[in-house]
Amino acid sequence: MYRGREGQWAFVLHRMSGVALALFLLLHVIDISLVMWGPDGPFNAFLAFYHQWPFRVGLIVVIAGVVYHALNGLRIIMMDFTEWGVRYQAALWYGVLGLTTLIGIPVLWKIVPEILGIA
Amino acid sequence: MARAAAPRTFSDAKATYQTNSELAWWVFMRVSGFLLVFLTFGHLWANNMAFNAGEIDFDYVASRLAQPSVKVYDSFLLLFALLHGVNGLRYSIEDYIQRPQRRVAAKVALFTVAGIVFVLGVMALWTFSFTEMGDAVRALEP
Ligand code: HEM
Repeated sequence: MYRGREGQWAFVLHRMSGVALALFLLLHVIDISLVMWGPDGPFNAFLAFYHQWPFRVGLIVVIAGVVYHALNGLRIIMMDFTEWGVRYQAALWYGVLGLTTLIGIPVLWKIVPEILGIA
Repeated sequence: MARAAAPRTFSDAKATYQTNSELAWWVFMRVSGFLLVFLTFGHLWANNMAFNAGEIDFDYVASRLAQPSVKVYDSFLLLFALLHGVNGLRYSIEDYIQRPQRRVAAKVALFTVAGIVFVLGVMALWTFSFTEMGDAVRALEP
């Protein structure tokens, strides 16, 4: 059955990451557009606020969400257009999780020291 | 019409959607999603791996948006990510909000916010010279 198997977890994670990324995007374009008020405008104060560690950890979650959503999106496209993608969709999902973790290693390696202030 | 059981193949999608525009959106989500893999990965690379995201400030963004190639790149990112993301949110609204009045209200709110964000994004990319603005403001300071 579909319920509780890989396909359903893949869908739940795809939905949650997609909704979160869309909301992030709306906020992100607004905060970048604050540059229009110039170097003495609100932009630098806003960004200084976002440089606090909880938000930087949040950005790592955003990156993880983008990577998962993108790779699983490619899996969905394969399922839509090939027989092969449907047959191996569960295996492909483990591939998505594995690749997401793999890409996460250099990302954490680069960003965690920055957050800890030891970069 | 829970979309949890989304149509899986193109012929499935043709059978599921009553209108051509829903079918067009189904295709658009796949085409734009494919392009966004490259657009978002490149963007994340530039701002998180090639740079320390904890040091982003006005001067950094000004130096980026002074480059025409970044403006063009970000314009495609803005257009595709916004359409893809807002259409995804619309799917979620249709899946989870059942009462017709609330559904319409949620969609009106979503499209209003998305329209405002699109205008802000386009303005930030195309209507200012941030290098000149930064230099001009700094020249005012004694
Ligand atoms: C998670 C870390 C992220 C960081 C640190 C970041 C940083 C930035 C910065 C510094 C800019 C200014 C221009 C430039 O440098 O290109 C920008 C613009 C932009 N970013 Fe991001 N970004 C992130 C994630 C994302 C994601 C995931 C998306 C899309 C889904 C996105 C979409 C955009 C768009 C559309 C613009 C142009 C905004 C405008 O029209 O003014 N960003 N971002």
